[in-house]
Amino acid sequence: MRFLILLAFVITPLTGWAQDRSATIQDVVEAHILPGFTRLASASAALSQAAQADCAAASEGLRGAFNDAFDAWIGVSHLRFGPTETGNRAFALAFWPDPRSATPKALSAMIEAEDPVVESADAFQTVSIAARGFYALEFLLYDPQISALGSGAYRCALIRAVAADVDNTAQAILTDWQDHYAALLISPENSDVYRSDEEVLQELFKALTTGLQFTADTRLGRPLGTFDQPRPTRAEARRAGRSLRHVQLSLIALRDLAQRLASISPEASATLDAAFAQSLDLTERLDDPVFAGVADPQGRLRVEALQQSIGRIREIAAADLGPALGVAAGFNALDGD
Amino acid sequence: MKPLLPAAVALCASLGTGAMAQDKAAVLETYADIAAAAYGDSLITAQRLQVAVNALGTAPSAEALQQARAAWLAARVPYQQTEAFRFGNPIVDDWEGKVNAWPLDEGLIDYVDGSYGGPTDENAFAVLNVVANPGFTLSGKSIDAAEITPALLADTLHEADGIESNVATGYHAIEFLLWGQDLNGHAHGAGNRPWTDYATGDACTGGNCDRRAAYLQAATDLLVSDLEWMAAQWADGGAARNALTAHEDAGLSAILTGMGSLSYGEQAGERMRLGLMLNDPEEEHDCFSDNTHNSHYYDGLGVQNVYLGEYVRVDGTLVSGPSLSDLVAATDADLDAEMQRKLSATMRALGRIKTAAEAGFSYDQMLERGNLAGETLVMGGVEGLIDQTRTIERVVTTLDLDQIAFEGSDSLDNPGAVFQ
Repeated sequence: MRFLILLAFVITPLTGWAQDRSATIQDVVEAHILPGFTRLASASAALSQAAQADCAAASEGLRGAFNDAFDAWIGVSHLRFGPTETGNRAFALAFWPDPRSATPKALSAMIEAEDPVVESADAFQTVSIAARGFYALEFLLYDPQISALGSGAYRCALIRAVAADVDNTAQAILTDWQDHYAALLISPENSDVYRSDEEVLQELFKALTTGLQFTADTRLGRPLGTFDQPRPTRAEARRAGRSLRHVQLSLIALRDLAQRLASISPEASATLDAAFAQSLDLTERLDDPVFAGVADPQGRLRVEALQQSIGRIREIAAADLGPALGVAAGFNALDGD
Repeated sequence: MKPLLPAAVALCASLGTGAMAQDKAAVLETYADIAAAAYGDSLITAQRLQVAVNALGTAPSAEALQQARAAWLAARVPYQQTEAFRFGNPIVDDWEGKVNAWPLDEGLIDYVDGSYGGPTDENAFAVLNVVANPGFTLSGKSIDAAEITPALLADTLHEADGIESNVATGYHAIEFLLWGQDLNGHAHGAGNRPWTDYATGDACTGGNCDRRAAYLQAATDLLVSDLEWMAAQWADGGAARNALTAHEDAGLSAILTGMGSLSYGEQAGERMRLGLMLNDPEEEHDCFSDNTHNSHYYDGLGVQNVYLGEYVRVDGTLVSGPSLSDLVAATDADLDAEMQRKLSATMRALGRIKTAAEAGFSYDQMLERGNLAGETLVMGGVEGLIDQTRTIERVVTTLDLDQIAFEGSDSLDNPGAVFQ
């Protein structure tokens, strides 16, 4: 036994003690993951209740509950493994980007046909992800065309069905985390999914790097387009005025995850935190909630500066944090086209 | 994941020496040989397609159209197996969009059904219809399209206005010209373009039959010349082969990057799961010809080929040699067994989709809302691909290629970063 411990020391001089790794994982699970999904579940329950109480698209109560629940989702949207992937739950909560405008098309088709699928929560789970989740609800509440299309009674039923479906999905994710996935991350050796603490840390590290990549390349990159062809209408959730807010919320959540992972390496921790602080500072000063400014050179420069500052966080994560954790970059869902 | 830059590679310490180094060199050679053979086969089958397309243009008939379609389907078999080379090799990834870009707004090319709609928020040229229009304005520039040439397609129309779905070249543009839109929705059946879309004189349907034939020939000529170029890159002394073998560990990392990125982000995610969850038959990869089951199957086979170091050519001969599998087995036999088992499980799942589709349960039916059997079949493939990616990551770790992967991701968006 003693020999094994010594060997571990020799092989992994950079990664610290096995005990540290285990404590790091436990901290991420208990202080980052579980609170995040608990917030999502309670905010989603409140959203469904608000839709039941008042389904008018302009209802202040409904819009407030929608924005709270959407905030909670963005705070965990980087945790795309395990319970969020079972039954494609995360896709059902959040289908975006949508380059072929599938969401307005699917919603219009349902409203025009008065599709009776809204009558059953079970049946609603078979509906295209384009007509489910937060981005569909955003169209139903904020898009001038969709929010006035067809019969008011059907739209009301649809809004309630989408909200209830979000609630069901969020509860299912939380239940899975509480019932077994949290324990599985903390004691991976008892599972088929991960072989070791290192593999769990790789999963958490990938959540960080993939989240950063998504925010830089997709949340900012899509509206930026190219200099000759800026694409402000591609900004995320622009109808609800949430584009910049999503960048901020995701950075705040990713910073929390990064700090917990970096507890293993004080040096990486300090540089990472400074880089996050710089990016967040840029978001505070941007004053462009839906990135409309990407179309003019001055505004564009500021959004590009923000994107570059997130690139800097990614560099530090790859160069310092990954090696400190002793894990490889791995593959993620953004690989490919 | 974008592949490595040579500069990044140079910073990495070489791990293997002696016998191991020799093994690695031999593994890379097998991989490059398979690439040369598979792109060579893609070229051969594209040349057969070219013969068939020219015959259709010269003497249009139902039989000639059918033969061109059969030639297209055959050409897809070797090409899809090359997709495993894409993401690990920059030279392939930079080029791939010319030959296999997807999905496309086909209204750019030719007439479409009224249900297709008009220009969209994303694409002002979604219904440009080049076949019907010998002149038009594109991004403020007046374009003379009186003569449809390979250069017009490649340099002016492809990705026109900076929009990726303006696909003017490659397999899927040709597929659309041979089959037309699949208007069957979720019902069984592919696109049903009449052969008379290529007929001369009064027999012509759909208008501008001569321009349609010219477009089809230009796109096919372009495909052939693009494949000629890529096959040459993998021949002895070719740029792709040289880049791969310049550094052994980086070369191995490129192989695994290609396997993992195609399996997970591209095939399991973008192509299979998303289409299923959108219930959208337009999300089929080969949506005009209803050949998606084969497209997925041969993608999976390409990944397995690369790991096992084996490829069956279109003339039936086997190309094989020392493989990544051998290399992994020498370090960790259990891990090699796990990798082989998972690749086989994926091929069985993709094989189920293929056999069901060939027996009449087509891929677009599988995508229909509430079709549980279809969902189970497609998700079986998705889960196999995700599961094998986890083991590919273990192989990266076991072969001590992790640090190379880091350098690779570091150079992803900021090539200068590695010099800091």
